[in-house]
Amino acid sequence: MKWGEALLVLGFMGIGSTLLLALLWAPSVSINAFESPAAQRIFYWHVPAAWAAFIAFGALFVGSAGWLFQRSEWMWRLHVAGSEAGLACGLMAVWSGCVWGQAEWGTPWDWTDVRLNSFGLLTLLAIYVVLGRNSQPDGVETRDTFAAFGLYGFVLVPLTYVATRIWTIRHPGPVIGTGDEGSINGEMGLVLLLGAISFTVFIVGHMIASMRLTALEQRLESMLSMRDGGA
Amino acid sequence: MTYLAVAYLGMLVAIALWTWTVVQRSRRLDERLEALERADRGGTEATKKTDG
Repeated sequence: MKWGEALLVLGFMGIGSTLLLALLWAPSVSINAFESPAAQRIFYWHVPAAWAAFIAFGALFVGSAGWLFQRSEWMWRLHVAGSEAGLACGLMAVWSGCVWGQAEWGTPWDWTDVRLNSFGLLTLLAIYVVLGRNSQPDGVETRDTFAAFGLYGFVLVPLTYVATRIWTIRHPGPVIGTGDEGSINGEMGLVLLLGAISFTVFIVGHMIASMRLTALEQRLESMLSMRDGGA
Repeated sequence: MTYLAVAYLGMLVAIALWTWTVVQRSRRLDERLEALERADRGGTEATKKTDG
């Protein structure tokens, strides 16, 4: 088993354990504070998925900059892996947020909330980069175009991060890293930590596997073109 | 709680499928590259024998 695949399996097992603990072990929240206390358990999936998406978008930014400024093949592979991982984690965070929003707010989306819409835009950007790149022949112009989107689109990451600190409209504010004790107790924090570690391991494993996959595709393409040229 | 479990399991199945796809694509490419390398080696050896 390859290094990336081993991390994938480990991360997946951690995510499965987080799911079980979130449903069966994590304490329930106050029925007075929430419309739908049971739905709050999706928080143990939603927050780690969003965290993993930020890691993936960070990789997309670094890979895009690396391709544009160094013309590095390794950086291009990081761009590809970051965009695919960002898309998957972004969709998971958006989907889990919609499920919770429907149960808690009575609507899956709020077009006036900055956090929701900036994160939605980030996910749309990842969809555009992944689908657009796959529909175009590989070449310097294609890579430059999508690397520019990856580079400038990253501005949405810090905006999304600070959105609930500056404009608290509908999305709940931060529960950790707030300077005070926060609103989650020890057991909740433990499940959330397990989720965050598992998603991090999973997404790093995915990016390693994806970078290897891109390298294999490039090698196959060059071998086939050499054979065609030699024939 | 039922819809929550369904939503959770749906996402778990989705990431399992995504992971499976990446691993399978990687294995198929590995096999294809090995087959191409074997074919290239076979061709080179055959050429050497003909030349010799």
